[in-house]
Amino acid sequence: MTFPELNPVVGYVSLVLVAVSTVMIGIYGLRISRTTGDFYVASRTVRPWWNASAIGGEYLSAASFLGVAGLILLSGVDALWFPIGYTAGYLMLLLFVAAPLRRSGAYTIPDFAEARLESRNVRRVTSLLVIAVGWFYIVPQLHGAALTVRITTGLPSWVGPVAVVVVVCLSVITGGMRSITFVQAFQYWLKLTALAVPIIFILIQLTGSGESLTDDGAVFRSELNSTVEASLYQNISLVIALLFGTLGLPHVLVRFYTNPDGASARRTTLLVLGLLSVFYLFPTLYGLLGRIHTPDLAAQGSADATVLLLPSRIFDGVGGDILSAFVTAGAFAAFLSTSSGLVVSLAGVVSQDFFGASVSGFRWAAIVSALIPLGFALLTDTLALAGSVSMVFAFTASTVCPLLVLGIWWRGLTDTGAIAGMVTGAALCGGSILLAAALGIERAPEWLRLPALWTVPAAFAVTVIVSRLTVRRRPKNVSRVLARLHTPEAA
Amino acid sequence: MRVTAPQFPTGPAASYPVAREMAEQSDVGELFVRSLIRSQLRLAVVVASGFLVILVGIPVLLSIFPAVNTWTIATVPVPWLLLGLAIYPLVIGCAVLYVRSAGRIEQRFRDLVDEQ
Repeated sequence: MTFPELNPVVGYVSLVLVAVSTVMIGIYGLRISRTTGDFYVASRTVRPWWNASAIGGEYLSAASFLGVAGLILLSGVDALWFPIGYTAGYLMLLLFVAAPLRRSGAYTIPDFAEARLESRNVRRVTSLLVIAVGWFYIVPQLHGAALTVRITTGLPSWVGPVAVVVVVCLSVITGGMRSITFVQAFQYWLKLTALAVPIIFILIQLTGSGESLTDDGAVFRSELNSTVEASLYQNISLVIALLFGTLGLPHVLVRFYTNPDGASARRTTLLVLGLLSVFYLFPTLYGLLGRIHTPDLAAQGSADATVLLLPSRIFDGVGGDILSAFVTAGAFAAFLSTSSGLVVSLAGVVSQDFFGASVSGFRWAAIVSALIPLGFALLTDTLALAGSVSMVFAFTASTVCPLLVLGIWWRGLTDTGAIAGMVTGAALCGGSILLAAALGIERAPEWLRLPALWTVPAAFAVTVIVSRLTVRRRPKNVSRVLARLHTPEAA
Repeated sequence: MRVTAPQFPTGPAASYPVAREMAEQSDVGELFVRSLIRSQLRLAVVVASGFLVILVGIPVLLSIFPAVNTWTIATVPVPWLLLGLAIYPLVIGCAVLYVRSAGRIEQRFRDLVDEQ
């Protein structure tokens, strides 16, 4: 498929600019990054405002930047549940995880699991799950990169994923987490600007030309949807997956260790909620205007390109080129930031478990963590971005979420219970998704496609029941560990 | 580039408050910590349930009163306004409420420990 409507020079220039500036900021961060602690978690000296921008930068992935608008184009009002879930996931994270997790003093989720349950086996199972989640989350980012590069430059699909992996490896292995914090904070504001500037010009242009922005309300009509209306089950199961999946995402959680204390972890999360709420207004507007100005993309199966192509449909010539450059740069920033965040958190896990927690081990682990999903991405086809990401959220909500929530709040959790719960959640949720894929996403029943509504309670239930049955395996120092998680630091 | 590796992992960098040590070592301390955890959990569950009830309430009410779907404000239908805009201030409101209350619970805990 070719898109002659975009000027390829624009694509090349914005991709190169984003890649170069990302690597430059990474190198600048290198001058400050000195010790192993710096590499892993920036020595926990990152201010809430920086940290919140960095979390926003890392979290707003291809699914948010391109996928949300694409879904609004396809499904109308039902698609609004995606940004709601992506945002409100941080509310759940704030309520149940943020401050205690910071106080745990652990660097990664497996560290937390091992410290809380005094068990190497729990650590191993958690590590495997975290690595699986990370890889499956990187794959849609790389698919997004493939789509963006193909549409904006006309280059073959493999160029996008390979470029993303190269830039990510360069910036991660040179600077670790410290420079990644700067890079990520920069990426949030880049992404916001990349969506805000073009849409402001588009709105001014459309209002100036005297058209009704909403086509007198026609834009909202469900007749424009190309999908059937979602059932109540679908919407609720999706929201459960997104709400409880966020608090288990490895690249999000690793950010919380960089707060100085529990209270600032809460302040950071509050800021993140504000940043996300502002951000999601923009993809929503793109999707809405797309329903009038780029409806043909739905039929072509490229709804995710709505954000990329909308500016050039409204503006001709140089104006359109410049605004297209903005959205292209923002999209590329989205893949880079989420992928590098994931690679950092995965490298943290992989290097501690397999490379002996040294700086060179971290670098090797980063390269391995980036290359394996690249292989997956090159071998598989693109799904709708927001849809495939929501499956990762469902999986995380069914596996890591019960471990974290029960580990933080319930004395009764045992290592056997935690493993049983995680394995059950992984088998049920992973099995449903695979089965749905085998049946074909269109034909699979909704309880297989969106399993979170029953797999998350099932994982919690199994964890609790097995823990109750193995009371004797409760760790002896549970009171000490819980006291450490919940007592506030000196004021 | 020079990278010097200190002992790793180094554990939490935050200072150990007296409260924490006391909580870990005495029975009274443990009682305080248990009640602290209970209060924090109750707060979190109350805020989460309140939010979830409102969130799930929106599609449920819209399906009970489908007439609302046709209401519009400046050509924008009410469901779009609720889900696309109004939800976000609600999320932030819940978060602010929680952060304040959790901070107060912790302050009360500190005061209790100081009295001991």
